[in-house]
Amino acid sequence: MDALDLDVRRHVYFSVVANGRPPTAAETAESLELAEDAAEASYRRLHDAHALVLFPGSTEVWMAHPFCFAPTPHRVTAGGRVWNGTCAWDALGIPGALHGDGEIASECACCGEPLALRVEDGEPVEGRDLLVHFLVPARRWWEDIGFT
Amino acid sequence: MVFLRSEEHLERWLSANGWEPGASFGTPKLNELARLWWWTRLDPGWRTRTADESQALLDSVGLTGEFWQLT
Repeated sequence: MDALDLDVRRHVYFSVVANGRPPTAAETAESLELAEDAAEASYRRLHDAHALVLFPGSTEVWMAHPFCFAPTPHRVTAGGRVWNGTCAWDALGIPGALHGDGEIASECACCGEPLALRVEDGEPVEGRDLLVHFLVPARRWWEDIGFT
Repeated sequence: MVFLRSEEHLERWLSANGWEPGASFGTPKLNELARLWWWTRLDPGWRTRTADESQALLDSVGLTGEFWQLT
């Protein structure tokens, strides 16, 4: 990953934290004084490197892990905002990435019943008795990251 | 990766979907992994982890064996 792509990635993540959403390629191009097609090409390289995930056929950011920008069953309140966690792992990863506490409103994958978790000082203080399940072996996580 | 209320719900969910069990454990272990895995994600000097570095993080919380092999 070259310096330009690292700069673009850093800008995307900082914008996510500042604004609660990822910047478009056009917004990144303007902020970093790049041509728009150069920003789009960088977004695609970051997608190919698994540093961002774009919506299929688009340069719109779907996931900047652990943050997701499409509806999911995992709503995470942390850092003064409400986020979508891509999956159970990412839901707990958001308070970690923000180095703070967090509350997760999720649901049981089996019955859809609401589940609540709360992390304080790095430890889950609510929802400790819940289970997590990984269906896909690690080697295949990126074959279909949306399903994983 | 999903949350489930109990082992009973896990078994029912797998059976209803016709899926083989993968790996399951409690939320304290996932929290430990999540904090290790994502802690540096917003660091200004972030760089891509190597596969060996990621594997070491999984190993450090006891996620070992074929299911957890990244490469």
